[in-house]
Amino acid sequence: MDPKEVVEHLVALKVMRLTKPALVSPKIVTCDSKDLPGNILNNYLKDDATSVTQMETLAAGQFLLLPQSFGNIYLGETFSCYVCVHNETNQPVQSVSIKADLQTNSQRILLTTQQNLAPTMLDVDETLSDVIHHEVKDLGTHILVCEVTYMSNYNTLASFRKFFKFEVMKPLDVKTKFYNAESDDVYLEAQVQNITSGPIILEQVSLESSQQFNVKSLNEIDESISVFGDVTLLQPQESCQYLYCLSPRENISKEIKLLAAAKNIGKLDIVWRSNLGEKGRLQTSQLQRMTPDYGEIRVTFERLPNKLFVEEPFDFQCKIVNASERTLDLILKLRSLQDSSLLWCGTSNKKLGPLEPGKSFCVNLTALPINTGLCNISGVSLLDLFLKRTYDYDDVASIYVH
Amino acid sequence: MDNKPSLSQYFGDKEVPPASQFFDEIGTSPSDMIQSIYLGETEGIQTTTANLFPQNMSSSFTPHKMTDELTFNNVVPTVSTSASVPATSLPDPSTFFDTIGPEPQIMSSKSGITHPTILTEAMDGLSIKNQPVDKEADRRRDAWIPNDEAKKTLMKAQSSPKGSFFPEREVLTMPGLILEEELADALQEVAVKYLGVSSAGSRGVVRAEHVSRDEAGLRELLRTGYLRAAINLTAVLLTAAGQGVGRMHRPTKHTPRSLQLWLTRFAVMSRIKLYDTLVKEAEPFGDLNKPDMFYEFYPETYENRSGSLVPFSLRLLVAELPQHVGKPEEALDRLYAIFGAVQTMLANLREGKTEDGTSTVTEQDKVESIRLWAGRETRVLHSIVNCSLAMKDYRQAARIVWELQEACGSAAARRAASSALCRVWLRAGHLRAARACLQLAQEARHHIWRRRRATTCECVVCIVCIVQEPARRCAACGSAPGTCLQLAQEARHHICPTPDVREYVDLGLIDIALGKYQDAYNNFARAADQEPTNIMVANNLSVCLLYMGRLKEAITVLQKAINSDPERGLNESLLINLCTLYELESSKTNEKKLNLLRMLCKYKSDTIPNVLECLKLS
Repeated sequence: MDPKEVVEHLVALKVMRLTKPALVSPKIVTCDSKDLPGNILNNYLKDDATSVTQMETLAAGQFLLLPQSFGNIYLGETFSCYVCVHNETNQPVQSVSIKADLQTNSQRILLTTQQNLAPTMLDVDETLSDVIHHEVKDLGTHILVCEVTYMSNYNTLASFRKFFKFEVMKPLDVKTKFYNAESDDVYLEAQVQNITSGPIILEQVSLESSQQFNVKSLNEIDESISVFGDVTLLQPQESCQYLYCLSPRENISKEIKLLAAAKNIGKLDIVWRSNLGEKGRLQTSQLQRMTPDYGEIRVTFERLPNKLFVEEPFDFQCKIVNASERTLDLILKLRSLQDSSLLWCGTSNKKLGPLEPGKSFCVNLTALPINTGLCNISGVSLLDLFLKRTYDYDDVASIYVH
Repeated sequence: MDNKPSLSQYFGDKEVPPASQFFDEIGTSPSDMIQSIYLGETEGIQTTTANLFPQNMSSSFTPHKMTDELTFNNVVPTVSTSASVPATSLPDPSTFFDTIGPEPQIMSSKSGITHPTILTEAMDGLSIKNQPVDKEADRRRDAWIPNDEAKKTLMKAQSSPKGSFFPEREVLTMPGLILEEELADALQEVAVKYLGVSSAGSRGVVRAEHVSRDEAGLRELLRTGYLRAAINLTAVLLTAAGQGVGRMHRPTKHTPRSLQLWLTRFAVMSRIKLYDTLVKEAEPFGDLNKPDMFYEFYPETYENRSGSLVPFSLRLLVAELPQHVGKPEEALDRLYAIFGAVQTMLANLREGKTEDGTSTVTEQDKVESIRLWAGRETRVLHSIVNCSLAMKDYRQAARIVWELQEACGSAAARRAASSALCRVWLRAGHLRAARACLQLAQEARHHIWRRRRATTCECVVCIVCIVQEPARRCAACGSAPGTCLQLAQEARHHICPTPDVREYVDLGLIDIALGKYQDAYNNFARAADQEPTNIMVANNLSVCLLYMGRLKEAITVLQKAINSDPERGLNESLLINLCTLYELESSKTNEKKLNLLRMLCKYKSDTIPNVLECLKLS
């Protein structure tokens, strides 16, 4: 026997990827009834099984065409394929079974079949087949390994394997930006870019906040109407920007330590669809913000009036939080700087008493604007009596004076 | 932990592997994906597969021949048809230009003129002489506004004394044939190669040689589906008209007849996708706006006649061309240019002027002209939508279809447009919008139903369901088929109980998009109950069965569809589906494909662009 001769197997294995089918239309060529071809070509169109009555000239048909190529596959989509074993001989083949698994760069996944594929007998021209689904969770090279086992003519088990290699690509590019607001709220800007080769519909984009934050989506007008209009369709390379406001939960916002440690914002959950509803879903890893550095003492101004008039004194509150590890003994100094548009009213060098770590004082202050326009609230400083150290707060807030 | 894909390496990883290294064993074409096809067959397989198609098709074949004859009758071009039919009885212009509409009986009033000699005479009518001519109909049909440059030349042509007008070369359209060799019957060629000379016969050649070498013969070839032979005949006729091979870039005389020949040639080439040659041959025509494309250019021949020699269908066809050779943007530009011109003409008409705005029209003429041009406007918009869909610009496609839907006069047309819009969104994957559109279509159906109720007696019929409910009879009157008391009661609630085939199919398509194949199957099955012979429904059922893991049944359904109606069933897309299934089922598919080829030879002529591709024959 020629050693090179390939072993002829009794059964054949075929595999086809099942992406969504396509909707096809006939070739649309029409003429006026008084043109030379008269209505002949029009009638061709009308009689075509793929045309839609009353909408013959519009290529939005109802006729399904099976996928004719493997296509692209993206992370988060479901890989489906049809696996079929056919008896190629003219006698029954015993104990036929299929096993399929998927090898990725990192793991080997046994693909579960829908039907119970215990070894069965395949009669002449019969097939053993199944549809396999697998949600793709890895990028890069995947190899589908299909193994067919059957009883050979010599009553021994014979088997062969086939390998199908494909590459899983990234469908979306998500860029995020964080803004830490003075109010302790965190604003998240998330830019979702379509990097697939075709248009996609973003069916759902939502932020699942972490335990530390409450999330409010700022992408709707009046609760329901999306700011993007009715359709969130992204052509290749187009992107959409989503905005979320995250407020620290009450137990966190009270404690400056916890607030400073609250890095985890949440996860973006994105569901998209493409060609004829092909669905994909991705969740980002935990998004992390850069927490602001509060230093040893955090000073914020609260209850600032919205509208101020020149030469009318106004009141506001100054909140002082001890963000250090030790107890502070503080003196509040108010200096009206030379180029400042504000004059302080009330006492300077006020002793505030000891402040334990994590605790805060609220001090009422009064100031008099002497110029119109935007002016900085400057000249507030704190003197720590233990370390004899002065902390200046000149850029905490600005006000607009009319 | 969670079963959503987690993207730890997701951010920052910018590298996307090039698509070229993508497929190794699962290739880009199904013949790669589904492996080797064996050409050699064993006897045993042959005998089992040969019985797959029962050969008793002749009975269903004959009635089809008869319908062919009927279409033949309906097809006769007569010069005055559209003028003699009152506007109200004409089909909704939104469907086709002015003819193929939902009511094909329009032309049948004219079916008296079917004698072949009259047919040729009617055709000669295109050369204008000795025919009773409806001047308004001619003006309306040919109307086109020359651009400023063309206008100057036309003025010169009109004002120059006889014989003293010598136009510059630049203003001339100088077409010529590119395709030198005769096209062979493609199906014939494949048949000879795979089935041998004896079984292939020599039908095509006989056909082509037995028709008269004129327009009547051309139409005969078109009607019988010998499209490549028809292209060859246009070449003969164009050569006779001085625009043959090698005549490109040489001055020539244009007549309405020569342009009709070009239209026929281009239309057929486009149908069988000979785009490369087509683009080259269409190139000298440009945008069909050169002065010699207007009647005014030939004051001696066409006295007092205005407008363009170019049939509107040719304009549209040439504009669409770049779309097929990878330049859809260019096609869009050209289509929008036509759309703009049509709108200008419609604006003139609405002001009571002629299309070009030079004189006034009678009220009836105005109604008639607006009807024609509004129909053409819709047709251009359809082409724009088609082009957008080819570019996957679903936003634009949906916007235009939505506007068309809003502009629809009748509920039936609105229904059809909503249903189309549903599918545009479906293709994009926007299921919410697709569902909303389907709902609009359903509301339109209820509207039709309500209207129907208002115009009939107690026994109410939903016009959509009338066909499907012939057995149930009205308990009250008992006579009228399709009416029934239950339906009448349901009508009181203003709801039409039964969706029709189109709606069931749309519902099924939405289910497919959702991945609910069993539900989709049920919807398609309901559609099949209503129209058991509908090829599209059978095809969709089959596709659905595959996704449900029932390959064998999927194949059976398609084979049954082909056998029940070979003329329609032997459709390119259906054949591709069936051969895909064959290849998935087994590696020994050749005999089954050859069976399909035999059926093609028996029932089809030369209409399929690429037989080998359809049958996946290597």
